[in-house]
Amino acid sequence: MRILMVPLDPVHDVALKMLRRELLKNGHEVVLLPPDMKVEEVVEICRLEKPSVIMVSRTVGYGAAEVLGRFIDLLDAAGLRKGCKVIVGGKAITKELAAELGYDAGFGEGTEWEEVIAYVEGRPVKRRICENERKKRDITEGYSYRLLDEAFFKPLEDIAAQIIEWASGKCSPGVERAKVRERMLSGTDALKDYIDLCEEPVKSFYTRGEIPKKVRLVGTEEVSKFKRFIDGLTVPVGSSLASMSKPLVFVQYGTGCPFMDGMHIKVCEAWGADGFLHFDPSWGARVEGLLEGVLSHEEDGTIVTLENLKLIKSLLGESTLWSVRAHRGLNTPETVLLAAYVGADLTKINMVYGSLNGGTDPERLLVDGVYAIRLAARFNLPFDIPTNEELGGVPAYKAFAGMLVVAYLGLKLGARPILKPLFCYSPDVMISGYMEDNYVDYNVAKIWALREIIDAPIWAGEPIGFMTHTEERVQSALTTALHAGLAKSLNLDAITIASTDEAYSRGAITSSSRIDTLRALKEAFRFLGEVKFEPTCRAKSFKEAIKEGILKTLEEIARRGDFLSSLYEGLLGTREEGANPGRVGRGSVSRCLV
Amino acid sequence: MVDRLMDALDIETTVFAKSEEEAKKIGIDLLGSLGFKDADIVFVEHEGFVARVRLRAYIYRPGDKYSWLLKDEVE
Repeated sequence: MRILMVPLDPVHDVALKMLRRELLKNGHEVVLLPPDMKVEEVVEICRLEKPSVIMVSRTVGYGAAEVLGRFIDLLDAAGLRKGCKVIVGGKAITKELAAELGYDAGFGEGTEWEEVIAYVEGRPVKRRICENERKKRDITEGYSYRLLDEAFFKPLEDIAAQIIEWASGKCSPGVERAKVRERMLSGTDALKDYIDLCEEPVKSFYTRGEIPKKVRLVGTEEVSKFKRFIDGLTVPVGSSLASMSKPLVFVQYGTGCPFMDGMHIKVCEAWGADGFLHFDPSWGARVEGLLEGVLSHEEDGTIVTLENLKLIKSLLGESTLWSVRAHRGLNTPETVLLAAYVGADLTKINMVYGSLNGGTDPERLLVDGVYAIRLAARFNLPFDIPTNEELGGVPAYKAFAGMLVVAYLGLKLGARPILKPLFCYSPDVMISGYMEDNYVDYNVAKIWALREIIDAPIWAGEPIGFMTHTEERVQSALTTALHAGLAKSLNLDAITIASTDEAYSRGAITSSSRIDTLRALKEAFRFLGEVKFEPTCRAKSFKEAIKEGILKTLEEIARRGDFLSSLYEGLLGTREEGANPGRVGRGSVSRCLV
Repeated sequence: MVDRLMDALDIETTVFAKSEEEAKKIGIDLLGSLGFKDADIVFVEHEGFVARVRLRAYIYRPGDKYSWLLKDEVE
């Protein structure tokens, strides 16, 4: 096909040049005129060239419509419209404008070359198989979990062995409930046994039908309508923001309502999120027992019930990863079990953070955590280990010592741990002045330190850039995007991002705020590509100090010979540092009957 | 129209105001005048004579009955 390209513009012709490249590849004959020609001259060339297609491009500017309109009129007057397609393209061109001016077609911003070529060739658009076709990915794949620094071997080995021995034969209502729940999931009617292990208000929910305050039981008809509503939507799964390279981008949901969560999930999938974290309400972790049914409530975090989890699972795209966190409360083992049962890809367990900042008694959470890790191993469910105690003021090296203990314990129990150091502006960092002139060095140092210790996956924890966000949309999106860029630069496996209203605490997070951040990340990833951040020389000295601190902490705990006492006594964070051993569930550990 | 909104409506604008407090009041009044009852200021940044504000009107809070889902019943 003979095509004449006409940049009816004083300067711009880049789009036509790129399109010419594509048309030539498809075997067309293309003549590209220079910009800034008079329309009369162009019409004369059209008369001589006799093209089958005339492609006009024009960027925005005063008088653009007049120029384009006059061109068409002159073509008409010269009798050149017959048997010739005349199309117009440009940033501000719409189909409506093109039609109004008398063009056969118009192509505006966001047009793919294939759309134009298909139109020129008079055929349907070929939907190309996306280069970034999304497949569910295993974050732990390719890691040997080998300790790379031998100095860490002995203390970690000693501590893990000590924990396993200590936990042997110990039990708790949480562990017992997980066992009963397992029987229930296999079809046994054991609800009475289950209720016996619960406390108010869970007990009264089952026995007297009392719904906890601010909680609403969603009716089955409402659930059916929701499913039909979702089925009726055309929900695309956008290309991964990271274009199949690292990091995977996770969004933490937990609006309080599984329907709202579901819609936010679908929106975020469309904008390129790779995975989601189920975030439970804090009160759910402080009461023995889980509720049942599709439940919504009016506060932060979505209630963990088998039915809520099933509903959310049914909404997820095939390639979407899903983590159900179980890291800190009295229902840790049972939550891991439910996560595995409903088909979650990941879970989260950390007895150190969970008992020093999460309100749960260390002894109780240690028993529950060991059992939960065993369940994760049995169900082949990788688990991540957050170090949120940093947000309370615990120095990174102590938080990391705890994380490495749990990770190593996980390996000894046959599980696949994921390290989750925070990428944040923590209190310790603020007090110590580590990031007064940049947010890069100390975060880089953390990753370098961990990478020198163990070959394990690293997922920058929830959410990246925490404590740098404000209620201002642009700042929040930008800061998150910069942290995401840093994570990409460090080749981290995954990140969890904040929405732009993460810091706004008077209401629920909105879908538009989630989109804001996803768009910002996309731009950051595009902007940086494979470019790496260049930390200053401070990063290296920070890294050495972090490593030294981790080792010293581990050796101290190993010498103490009692991991539980180490938690109570502040070896993994003192009360002054913000690590307060929790009290929920204290005294509930017992000997196992079997 | 409102039943097509997923969760909330954010309006971002710049208002003439002598103080942050005045800007907040203008924002809430504006949303009130538009008929929104569940209104809040997400963000305000005041400089001298003018303030950039992000206003939010929650159409639905989590756990509500959403008219995009239950149109007939809610009406």
